[in-house]
Amino acid sequence: MSDSLFGMPAPELDAELGEATVRVHVDATIYDLEAVYAAAYTFIARCYVLIDRPSPERFAITLASKSLPAAPEQLRALAGELANELLASAWRRTITRHNRALIESVTMQAFAGAMGPPSLEDLEAFDFSDEPFDDPLGIAQSWEDKYKKRPKEDGAT
Amino acid sequence: MMLRLHRRLYSGTAIDAALQRFASLARFEREIDGDYFVVRAELDDPARARRIGGELGNFALGLTVEQGGPDREVDAP
Repeated sequence: MSDSLFGMPAPELDAELGEATVRVHVDATIYDLEAVYAAAYTFIARCYVLIDRPSPERFAITLASKSLPAAPEQLRALAGELANELLASAWRRTITRHNRALIESVTMQAFAGAMGPPSLEDLEAFDFSDEPFDDPLGIAQSWEDKYKKRPKEDGAT
Repeated sequence: MMLRLHRRLYSGTAIDAALQRFASLARFEREIDGDYFVVRAELDDPARARRIGGELGNFALGLTVEQGGPDREVDAP
């Protein structure tokens, strides 16, 4: 029985209830394989999990309750939890992707700090002609430049 | 008991490792059928077959996820 379990539009997410299983269909253009893996993995302790790809546009995740019998309400709850976990996994991946540069920068600084203070040779070889940091948009501005007194315009009272 | 595991989603290496781990529970046969790895075992007790099949699938999925996905050489359509 195909059912709009969550009151959500079927093309994105729908589910079929079986005797002791629930099969959730997922739009592969919205949730990628990594999100499906991450979401499915969280159910391994409670359910038998099987993932499938019936078509290039869709994943199918089947959850079978380890304990029998499984009430329909319990299966619906599992499907709802899976839908939430899919969304959370996809969102975590998006955040990680967006913050990758920041994470790499912080990690590099941590490693550089762990290497200890620079030696005299390092300091001697330091290139002071380099810009302190890239500011292609000119966002950085010193306090003095920003708030310095400007000469009064002619005719101003 | 029969399991059909999609080759784009499951790692053959992970399935082999899972089968090795479960070898003492049944005699398994593994083959490739198009896009799927097919695992079969003769088990008389349906409840035992369900449990072994389910745990074997979980084990293969867990190892596949830990490995980072299916094997690289898969070129299923």
